[in-house]
Amino acid sequence: MLWFKAWLETRWRFCFIAASILFAWATPLWAPLFHLRAPAGVPESRLWLAVHVASVLLYIFAAIFLAGSGINSQTTYAATSGFHPSMLFTLSLPVTRRRLLLVRAGLGALQTSVLVIVMAAYTLFDRPEATTAAQLLTYLARAIVCTMPVYALSTMLACLFDEMWQFYGAFMCCVAAFVLQSRIPGLSSLSPFRGMSLISYPIAGPIPWAPVIFSLALTAVLMYASTLIVQRKQY
Amino acid sequence: MHLRVHFSSGVPIYLQLMEQIKHAVETGAVRTGEQLPTIRKVAEDLAMNPNTVARAYRELEREGVIEVRHGSGAFVAEVGTGPKTAAIAQASVELRRAIEAGAMLGLSEPELRRVFEKELSRITGDDGEVVSGSVNGSAGGSEPGGSGERSSG
Amino acid sequence: MSEAVVETHGLSKSYGDKAALRGLELNVPRGSIYGFLGRNGAGKTTTMKLLLGMLRPDAGEFSLFGETVSSEASSVAARRRIGFVSEGKDLYSFMTVGQVIRFTRPFFPGWRRELEDRYLQLFRLPLNQSIMKLSRGMRTQLMILLAMARGAELLVMDEPTSGLDPIMTEEVLQALADLAAGENVTIFFSSHQLAEVEQICDHVCLIDDGQKVLDGVLDDLKSQYRRIVLVFDAAAPAGLAGLKGVDHLRRSGRTASLLAHADVEGIVAEARNFAPLSVDVYPVTLKELFFDHVRGQ
Repeated sequence: MLWFKAWLETRWRFCFIAASILFAWATPLWAPLFHLRAPAGVPESRLWLAVHVASVLLYIFAAIFLAGSGINSQTTYAATSGFHPSMLFTLSLPVTRRRLLLVRAGLGALQTSVLVIVMAAYTLFDRPEATTAAQLLTYLARAIVCTMPVYALSTMLACLFDEMWQFYGAFMCCVAAFVLQSRIPGLSSLSPFRGMSLISYPIAGPIPWAPVIFSLALTAVLMYASTLIVQRKQY
Repeated sequence: MHLRVHFSSGVPIYLQLMEQIKHAVETGAVRTGEQLPTIRKVAEDLAMNPNTVARAYRELEREGVIEVRHGSGAFVAEVGTGPKTAAIAQASVELRRAIEAGAMLGLSEPELRRVFEKELSRITGDDGEVVSGSVNGSAGGSEPGGSGERSSG
Repeated sequence: MSEAVVETHGLSKSYGDKAALRGLELNVPRGSIYGFLGRNGAGKTTTMKLLLGMLRPDAGEFSLFGETVSSEASSVAARRRIGFVSEGKDLYSFMTVGQVIRFTRPFFPGWRRELEDRYLQLFRLPLNQSIMKLSRGMRTQLMILLAMARGAELLVMDEPTSGLDPIMTEEVLQALADLAAGENVTIFFSSHQLAEVEQICDHVCLIDDGQKVLDGVLDDLKSQYRRIVLVFDAAAPAGLAGLKGVDHLRRSGRTASLLAHADVEGIVAEARNFAPLSVDVYPVTLKELFFDHVRGQ
């Protein structure tokens, strides 16, 4: 029933993001109605690049937004500050805090993964070169895995702070991490951001194990920290 | 049997219930052998604590007013077979005399009631039992009522 | 078995430098309806949150159903047998009445379907109504339903009847009385409605400033406590406070009012040494017990 509750809490966000993506996806269909066209002379590949970068940004955005608020309940539309009063009802149930967190985080992770797949599919659909099914699936898998640290970060921040700070904090950390990994030579080979993109690691190339393994480890650490925080917290 | 309890009075609720049931027996509202409502029914009807009802029933059984038959319920005991029946009869006579005396002194019913309750609370001990020794305990006779109530001794 | 369902020893909790509980000693007997009284801020909600594992004590320990609760696992085990109603009566506003019942049911294998149906009907709760749109009274009744229908052995309720109209209140009290009569249920609740506490509780406990100041069987307290009012010729003497068995002394001009809990006879005899003009002994209500035992009277 915890999955049911988590779904009820997040369904509008999920649908909102999915709808936004589908809307963007359907651009070729509705753009002509408004006389929208790519400017003449812009090379295909440039456009594709823009779309792909936007997709990757959307992976990150989805991960942050859908990470939820730890074990806190959420209101459908507004970001909450402090903890939601129904928290006491949840905490009075015979469930460990760890389970509360993991179910909620689990559903959000599934939702994020679905959206990553949807957005990645759009990008790949448009690619001029041929790709095998195996390459497609590999890319989808690594896109999801590399998005997870962002998701886990957002979850951990949610356990510490209320929603507004969670969102700002997660964005700030991502920006900071991005800057760091582009400046410090060693870090870029581990960077999940690069692991998500097809620019750094083309689809036909080898699997970029370093970012993938680093992402898995980072996700595990952040989720573990989240469970510790949630168990120690007092309401 | 109609039971009314004043929850906010200073009188313990189980005692109030006992009094009401005894009154019902004396006035014939319930007869010998008739079954009393179950503890659960009384608790639910009055929206009160079943443990308190149970206590009242226990005390009534102890005093011989009712008898509890396991599995069947509580029934009014035979009037006149309880250990206290004779004592109650004699006390009634004494009290009737005292009330008549008070009435002859010109006291109204509320005033008589007040005097009675005051005297009663004076001589009940910690466990609600009347401490028989204290009736003669405090020395001195009582002074007739005047402005303000006075107590003996 | 007559061990205590809830037992606390030296339970203490502070928020920063404000001490909410200072060494609370509680003992809630099995099968009782236990009224937990105190002023706002005395520590009632804090106590309940500690028992349910929402807060961690700074000192002291407590046990539920005879087992010491000191870890999350033991807290979860205890919560399987507890129903809780919080002060704010807040539930998930994004669910409907029916959904929150369906949500709560699976957590409790001992869920009593017949109680759920009975209280749904009694409280007239509409299954498809969104919780956000329920009045406070109906939210309270829903929360009480959820607590009672789960087949809990212990109900912990923070001001269950606050905000309810008199009819709803009576329905809730009747439901509690019925529950207590039929099952192995102990009810522990806090309230400011002294009249209801007198109606439904057999035990009461009064806490003030984080500590217990009075507890016992309510009917016994009413038997034991007496108010002794003395009127003097001149100003009432302060020495009366020193008499053995006197809990509180209040003086106002020529009148002294004593609250005594034992040996009323003896106190009256001793008080005569001060040569009062009159001595009167009265029974005592819960309201008087509350006012006299709580600081700032």
